[in-house]
Amino acid sequence: MEAETFKLLAAGLCMGLGAIGPGIGEGIVGGKALEAMGRNPKMADKIFTNMIVAIALAESTAIYSLVVALIILFVF
Amino acid sequence: MANIPEISLPAETIAQIGPFAISNAMIATFTTSIIILVLAFLIRRKAGIIPSRMQVAFEGVLNFMLDKMEIAFGSREKALKFFPLIFTIFIFFLIANQFTLIPFVESIVTEDGVRLFRNPASDYSLPIVLTILILVLAHVLALASHPIRHIGNFIKIGPILKIKSIKDLPMALLDFFLGLLDIVGEVAKLASLSTRLFGNMFAGSIIIAIVAGLSSYTQFVVPIPFLALGILSGLVQAFVFAMLGTLFISSTLNAVADTNNNQ
Repeated sequence: MEAETFKLLAAGLCMGLGAIGPGIGEGIVGGKALEAMGRNPKMADKIFTNMIVAIALAESTAIYSLVVALIILFVF
Repeated sequence: MANIPEISLPAETIAQIGPFAISNAMIATFTTSIIILVLAFLIRRKAGIIPSRMQVAFEGVLNFMLDKMEIAFGSREKALKFFPLIFTIFIFFLIANQFTLIPFVESIVTEDGVRLFRNPASDYSLPIVLTILILVLAHVLALASHPIRHIGNFIKIGPILKIKSIKDLPMALLDFFLGLLDIVGEVAKLASLSTRLFGNMFAGSIIIAIVAGLSSYTQFVVPIPFLALGILSGLVQAFVFAMLGTLFISSTLNAVADTNNNQ
């Protein structure tokens, strides 16, 4: 196999494996936030913005793997 | 094969003035600044006690952000101190992330076939400069108010000096190494805050380019959901960038202030 093949394979694996953890994490954050909103609808606004910040934090590892995949594809 | 446009990670250079390369992201950045200035003048001119519709919208955004900052900083005075900086960053990215929505702006091409405008945040240099600005500001302010306490938050010699018996030694050493880990954490903040914004905006533009370039059938209607997703993520990322910047500044300053109160 050529180096090009490995590059494509590496980028795909990097993004695919890197998306597993954040997917689980965001699911937990979203689910718990909805649970909290259901219990206490008055706090929904506050919980919603906090949820968005927490999701963005959980997402950061996926963004890391995206950046690594992009570097593998376009820079090397 | 589909005609997917060429994707380049760094921003493309358009002109060269001396040693400075003028990239297409820079042109878009300046254009965004001009848009914000024009909006500000228009709204300021008509501002009054009986607000116009635009004024109501902007005051709504302003109050929303100020409320969030008040929660983060703990008091309205402190929040108002940092409000100009954070809100400037917020409103800049609010408009910059939607920049490519302006009709036909993406299709303006120079003689060399390079696009004249590029989403400002999809060039890595803009997010990283603003992140460095926020983090350096936080640390300089903390150092200026309580220099020894701030350094002591990272290099924790205090617990080691306070050891009374040999039993306390492991805990003191643990504290010391946790403090060293916090230094790594500061560098991680720099990486995560800047790449989050850059990655989201860059990936958004790539997805639309790929979907539109797949075949001639997917050029018109199919990219619309991805565009909607791009608008949403642009709004959310602008908010998250400003919010996390607030949190970094306030947590650094509060850590210094709290140790002062405990004495």
